[in-house]
Amino acid sequence: MVWTQIHEPHRNEEKQVKGIYNDYFGDFGGRYVAEILRTPLDELERAWRESMDSDAYRSELQDLLVSYAGRPTPLLFAQNATRSCGGAQIFIKLEGLANTGAHKINNALGQALLAKRMGKGRIIAETGAGQHGVATAAACAKLGLKCRVYMGEIDIRRQRPNVFWMELFGAEVVPVVSGSKTLKDAINEALRDWAGSSTSTHYLIGSALGPSPYPDMVREFQSVIGREVEEEMRRLGLEVEALIACVGGGSNAIGFFAPFLGREKPRLVGVEAGGRGSGTGEHAARMGGFGTPGIVHGYKSLFLLDDDGQVGKTHSISAGLDYPGIGPQLASLGREGRIEFTRASDDESLAAVRFFASHEGLIFALESAHAGAAALEMAPEMPENRAIIVHMSGRGDKDLFILAKQLAGKGWRDFLLQEGREDEA
Amino acid sequence: MKHRLMTHMVAYYPDGASSVKVAAAMIDGGSTYLEIQFPFSDPTSDGPAIQTACTQALENGFKVRLGFELVSSIRAISDIPIFIMCYGNTLLYSGVEAFIDRCAQQGVQGLIVPDLPFDYDEGLFRLSEKHGMSAVPVVAPTIGPQRLESILRTEPRFLYAALRKGITGKITEIGDDNIGFLRRISTAAGKKEIRILAGFGISHREQIDLLATHVHASIVGSAFVRTIIENGGKGVYAAVKHKMEELI
Repeated sequence: MVWTQIHEPHRNEEKQVKGIYNDYFGDFGGRYVAEILRTPLDELERAWRESMDSDAYRSELQDLLVSYAGRPTPLLFAQNATRSCGGAQIFIKLEGLANTGAHKINNALGQALLAKRMGKGRIIAETGAGQHGVATAAACAKLGLKCRVYMGEIDIRRQRPNVFWMELFGAEVVPVVSGSKTLKDAINEALRDWAGSSTSTHYLIGSALGPSPYPDMVREFQSVIGREVEEEMRRLGLEVEALIACVGGGSNAIGFFAPFLGREKPRLVGVEAGGRGSGTGEHAARMGGFGTPGIVHGYKSLFLLDDDGQVGKTHSISAGLDYPGIGPQLASLGREGRIEFTRASDDESLAAVRFFASHEGLIFALESAHAGAAALEMAPEMPENRAIIVHMSGRGDKDLFILAKQLAGKGWRDFLLQEGREDEA
Repeated sequence: MKHRLMTHMVAYYPDGASSVKVAAAMIDGGSTYLEIQFPFSDPTSDGPAIQTACTQALENGFKVRLGFELVSSIRAISDIPIFIMCYGNTLLYSGVEAFIDRCAQQGVQGLIVPDLPFDYDEGLFRLSEKHGMSAVPVVAPTIGPQRLESILRTEPRFLYAALRKGITGKITEIGDDNIGFLRRISTAAGKKEIRILAGFGISHREQIDLLATHVHASIVGSAFVRTIIENGGKGVYAAVKHKMEELI
């Protein structure tokens, strides 16, 4: 395995990514926040820029990413899957093997370390699927920071195991009961907290969205994924036709794609939540004509809005993909055509979980399984001497309750009932 | 002496018909300026009281079109200066200039859009001026001198000073910190004729007394929502009018 250089900023060398400090990406991005949040954002941007130029900071982060997060994560040739599909060779970037089970740890460590440098002893975060919350809680435990995680009440129910882990790491998990009680409302609550607490608190946003500098900062922290992939492609001499990642807010996708954004190849494919249909509230696909330009959560991008400009309802089987907005850089690159977008339905994603489990012994997180589903559709259409790389951004342990309910049926239900009865007795 | 107040209400809260009564009570109670919030699904600057009001207003069927109809009904009973408060997405969705033009046609005096600061404003400030309205910049105590100076250089007619950090609703203690902040604004404004409106957590007469000499008007918002909630949504006119008498 080749050790990739972590955090060597790529500055102004590629045409579409103008550098690491963008603010706007085409029409999207910006810093649309109430004045009270302006000072902390300006301070954060200064501190982040200083850190990116600091050898001490970068080497401390590098050490953590290697010895604590478990980087680099492997690139697996999925031989059985390839044989079964016919067509392109399927490779899988096993980001789910990172400590805490998903790519989220890369950004959580980067920002938590930055917060510490800024002298902020308290971290707040939002979480949807809970993976960002778990990664943040873990990073805070490791670095000795106080941690509070806002999580929608519905997401808490969907991703209960992650709540348990967060609390075990010492974080306070605050249920959010306003609005749709999911990720978007957790972000609202975190922004409200930060408006009053920013002097002592860092808001650790988990996706490549929000007011600038977050989209740039989160992409840079996640771009380690793409750099490792690039290194492996070179080492193995792979002719890669496409990189495929799921897109909720989009941090795993933008990090995975980062080194390739300024080039024409390979194809970059973002897979959104197709949910259970294309009607309003049945999915969470912002691209492909569904999204409308809007300003929500401090940035301008494409959002799912209703016919009066209110943020619309969404649905996905995966709690990490049902956010109504998309990171501004992804929206812009989608418009320009550099990134292609497609959708995978709830059922297709469940089928992909089952497929990769039985063929490769891997449990994809439901989010990442959307990318897996797209790969299974794309591979047979391509020649055998080409490769596609699927991003398994997280592993599916957290989805045990949803998966077992869907895939194991009555036996699982009986087990839960029996456990409940024994607990009471 | 009676105090100048900017009284805040959420359109379609507690419901469409009652929100006209809320406005009437504020006007009859002596309000100087009426601030009407057009509800948004994700009001990130607002605390629990106004969030609840916005959620209920949306459930009551609020639409931007109906918000303008409400403005027009209020215009029919009074010529009180009306300010519309909303979030940037509401303007963007309607088209920024189309929204501002609509406001101007309804005789709206100004717009307060907290997430469109002057340097990320989508044209709000320029277009408001073009249509004869005032876009009201919001400043917070954490603002640095240079940024405050940049805002004042645009010579806004009104300036909204948020009296503390955080979100709307939670009670604010008026003391050296926020009075100092208001003095800092006045000093920086110098001879410019800028009317300072101050709000966030103002719900009692004593606070307004303390602010009176430092501001053009005090803003009261969440307190009215709480008044309406306490009255179970019934008899809103009498309840709001009574609260006005307490404050003014």
